[in-house]
Amino acid sequence: MFRKYAAVFSISWQLGFAYRASLVLWRARQMISTFLALTLWSVTYASGGSAFSYTRDTMITYIFLTGILQSVVLATALQGLTTTIYSGGLSIALVKPLNVFGFFWVQDVADKAKNMLFILFETAFFYFLFQPVITFPPLNVGILFLIWVAAAVFLNFLISLLFGAFGFWSPESWGPRFLFYTLITFTSGGLFPLDILPKAIQVAVYLTPLPYLTFVETQLFMQRLTQPQTILICLGYVFWISVLGFLVKYIWGKGLRDYTAAGQ
Amino acid sequence: MPTKLKTSATRYAAVWWLLASNAVQETFVNRGSNIIFLTGKAIRLGMTLLFLFLFKQNVSEFGGYSIDQVYVFFITYTLIDQITQTVFRGVYFFTTQIRRGDLDFVLTKPLSPLFLSLVGKPDINDALFLIPTVVVCGLIMSRLDLVFTPQNTMLFLALFLNGLLIATAFHIVALIVGVVTTDTDGIMWMYRDLSRLATFPVTIYQQPLQFILFLLIPIGVMVTVPAQALLGSSLSVTVLVSFGIGIGSLLLSLWGWKRALRTYTSASS
Repeated sequence: MFRKYAAVFSISWQLGFAYRASLVLWRARQMISTFLALTLWSVTYASGGSAFSYTRDTMITYIFLTGILQSVVLATALQGLTTTIYSGGLSIALVKPLNVFGFFWVQDVADKAKNMLFILFETAFFYFLFQPVITFPPLNVGILFLIWVAAAVFLNFLISLLFGAFGFWSPESWGPRFLFYTLITFTSGGLFPLDILPKAIQVAVYLTPLPYLTFVETQLFMQRLTQPQTILICLGYVFWISVLGFLVKYIWGKGLRDYTAAGQ
Repeated sequence: MPTKLKTSATRYAAVWWLLASNAVQETFVNRGSNIIFLTGKAIRLGMTLLFLFLFKQNVSEFGGYSIDQVYVFFITYTLIDQITQTVFRGVYFFTTQIRRGDLDFVLTKPLSPLFLSLVGKPDINDALFLIPTVVVCGLIMSRLDLVFTPQNTMLFLALFLNGLLIATAFHIVALIVGVVTTDTDGIMWMYRDLSRLATFPVTIYQQPLQFILFLLIPIGVMVTVPAQALLGSSLSVTVLVSFGIGIGSLLLSLWGWKRALRTYTSASS
């Protein structure tokens, strides 16, 4: 069984490098986004002092971490899942002697591995350019950080599957997807940290799974969370993975019963 | 205006009106998706404005500009971005057109293929969103603690139009890349991300990036220079050079388009 998934990983990895120009452009776009945020905050703190309860060093570290986490957590191979399902391309996955979710999961992991390869070089470049002062957390916090990142990767996988499920009934998923990515842009903290927003907005955002994708990990790494907050966030991960996992199982079960693929 | 040119302009206006009417009807077929899309756009604008508002409360100066002045850069960027997205949305569909060989049908029509590829599919969602955007931008501008002289405003309008010429040239370059490589998406998204660098004054970036953004990929001339003119601050690129870049980039892109069309070979039809 493992060999089958390893083969899927290998093929997905190679496929990821088939369109090299697109890959380089994609990474360049991610770099521009991180560069904009890093420059914005460097200029803001150029005259010294602190603003928004962050100093220059903590803010640069925050943006630096968020840039890395966004590339790991939010990168997905399932962007075109809606079209794959609606056009009947899902049949190819269904006839394979593999669990369909396992098949997508391995594809997603291969895509992230490919992105991480680039992150190494990009991180070195930004480190040289902005010279952030990164204070590493103690080992136990570091381990919890890695667990949260893994949980966030899985959370994003479930969200991608849910958006993909639109394809069982309609080819129109771009509206909700656009809304989701707009919300992600702000709530994942790519341009600014969530805790600079007014309290009411922060509370509203914490009622969604969005801050669990990248924001809370940065706060843990920078040791800006109290113990009760850390426990609450752990429970938040369990809650959202359970809820979204159940929704994926239910909606995909319903979708697969309705699924037809004429001409495939 | 010579009669022949007038007839041609009227014909193109009539065709564009017909295409825009079709786009309206198409938009209203998928009402749900479009409402969600507009909601997303509103949230994006709202969150950015909220961020700028918080920025103003916590920061007094940014890269040599007051925060009120930073608003002017942001508004100039927003308007140029929104207008070009509304008018040139067809560019985003060009990859499909090329790969399916549909450009063949465009080439057989008695109209400029550039006109049809560039403005043949206006984005009605963006057109609708342009109205509240202009209103909100106008309201913000009226409340800023800044004085805009008539001379500076006139210069701003001229440089703003020049910025639109540069944006047009960028979109034509994307079409050229589409004809040559069958993919416009990559370059369009790259353009969008690069232009986002002008959300804030391009002068905040270090050299050589600043030089690149003013003279090689003239995002700075497109957004920063008009805003500087309105604020009455010293221009990073002189007015003459700015217009030279605007007109030059458009002429160069038109020349490139003609050259690219000669290399076009149909995919299939």
